[in-house]
Amino acid sequence: MDYVLQVTELKKSFRGHLSIGVHHVLDGINLSVPKGVIYGFLGPNGAGKTTTIKILGGLLFPDSGEARIFGRSSADRSVRRRMGFLPETPYFYDYLKGAELLAFMGRLYGLSPSQLSRRVPELLETVGLKGQGKLQLRKYSKGMLQRIGLAQALIHDPELVILDEPMSGLDPIGRREIRDLILSLKEQGKTVFFSSHILADAEMLCDQVAILVKGRVVQEGILEVLLGSEVRFWDVTLRGLETFSPPPGCSVLTHRGGQVLVRVESEAILQTLLDKARAEGASVRSVMPHKVSLEDLFMAQIPGGGP
Amino acid sequence: MSPVVITPRLTLVQVYAIAKNTFKEAVRSRIFYILLAFALCLLLFSFIMGLLAIGSLRRVILDMGLATIAYFSAATAIFIGIGLIYKEVERKTIYNVLSKPLSRSSFILGRYLGIMSVLLVNLVAMTLVLAGVLASVGAFTPRIFSAVGYIYLELMILSAVALFFSSVSSPVVSAICTVAFYLIGHTSSSIPSFLVPLVQSAFAKRALLLLYHLLPDLNLLDINNLVVHNIATAPGFAVRGVTYTLLMVAVLLLASSLCFKRRDLV
Repeated sequence: MDYVLQVTELKKSFRGHLSIGVHHVLDGINLSVPKGVIYGFLGPNGAGKTTTIKILGGLLFPDSGEARIFGRSSADRSVRRRMGFLPETPYFYDYLKGAELLAFMGRLYGLSPSQLSRRVPELLETVGLKGQGKLQLRKYSKGMLQRIGLAQALIHDPELVILDEPMSGLDPIGRREIRDLILSLKEQGKTVFFSSHILADAEMLCDQVAILVKGRVVQEGILEVLLGSEVRFWDVTLRGLETFSPPPGCSVLTHRGGQVLVRVESEAILQTLLDKARAEGASVRSVMPHKVSLEDLFMAQIPGGGP
Repeated sequence: MSPVVITPRLTLVQVYAIAKNTFKEAVRSRIFYILLAFALCLLLFSFIMGLLAIGSLRRVILDMGLATIAYFSAATAIFIGIGLIYKEVERKTIYNVLSKPLSRSSFILGRYLGIMSVLLVNLVAMTLVLAGVLASVGAFTPRIFSAVGYIYLELMILSAVALFFSSVSSPVVSAICTVAFYLIGHTSSSIPSFLVPLVQSAFAKRALLLLYHLLPDLNLLDINNLVVHNIATAPGFAVRGVTYTLLMVAVLLLASSLCFKRRDLV
């Protein structure tokens, strides 16, 4: 398979205050990101996501192991011409205007002034900042800074985009716009590697995920395979029942004003329940199957977070 | 997959972009204008002082004017220089810059050239005011331009020192170290001229001379007194001054790059 990003046995530790004690942040992680996918790098706070991403961006140096991007070491700056990077909670030169920042970042990638005069307004529009390019960054809101951060990561039309918590600080509308933007990057054939702790966003977007806990990858793979297609339980809403005794294998969650919400553990019992309800004159309002969610998978990996 | 090459042209474009951004940062900060305005006021004040000092108008204006330019330029160099790298790391703005195909050495060089362009503009503005004041009393001498040229050489060294300390320590420590360098640089020449003749022991003389050669000597670049008293510089003075400056700057920038090259940006 054609991998654009591969991490092998990556280890990183930091010395404590006054060089006393060593804090192991990454304990030999392995990742393989194929071309053209949206890859979610998930984990609780302090798992080592930002440390890994900083190593990929050439900001930190690993103790051992390697991170290869397009087959080259992440420390090789030539790979960064094909890669866009957004650090966590991006900080920018607040004396610059939005358009000036994009032009400055574009120059660092070697874009010519004529390329920039076309690309900058185009990107401002793409990230929803049309008309805001002449505003100084110190006047930008947190959400606007996140958007301009994304724009600077895309200024040179990279093949791989690495984003650290891209949805952080955004309201629901902003999050949706960024989700749409990430999906459109995939449609353009780009690979997106992003970290997040917002599991709902990751579940909607990702083709593949890795879950990092205490510096180790505890799950990695195709999201559909990891979650499986098996239904764990069904929630059935029935109406028109003043009293109802469910068959074995079912449990009543709520019963209010003739409406009953019943949880059913298996498909065979589901049929029995529906037959019994109809026989007692109830109408079936909804039958909701529940599969394993990313949150279930995630929580099962966290010590003390399982069901 | 095809490799992407970083060409020397791209490196030049990057260094220029960093320098230009550093220039913008300085000229968009209020403190730059406050320092410049204060220096310009002092230059005009030298004119008033000159009028009060009957018979030595030219000497007083030149003396005060060049000293004002030298001290305020040095203060600006230290003030901006000590935050050049540290503030970038502290404010995390460096994450976005160094995650681009930019080497850390290019970043250091760009920041350095940026501060040198700010100091050049600063120096040109103050020199034009001094030249105007001198011309208004009919005491203009083109030698002020050479004096200012030497001040700029000193600023090149001072900025490189501030940048070096900024790449390894906090602004407060950097400021203390850079000011100490400046003071030592302006007093070290008294070792061979004053201290060495005082001691009797040959060993002590040699030790003092060795110490002198290890310390910076910024008086090698100071011709303000010669210009004030209209004394010509010795032959080879300029070559020695320029060589000394370029060597010092090269060593300091190299040291800054080496210190910064493998530093983790946590």
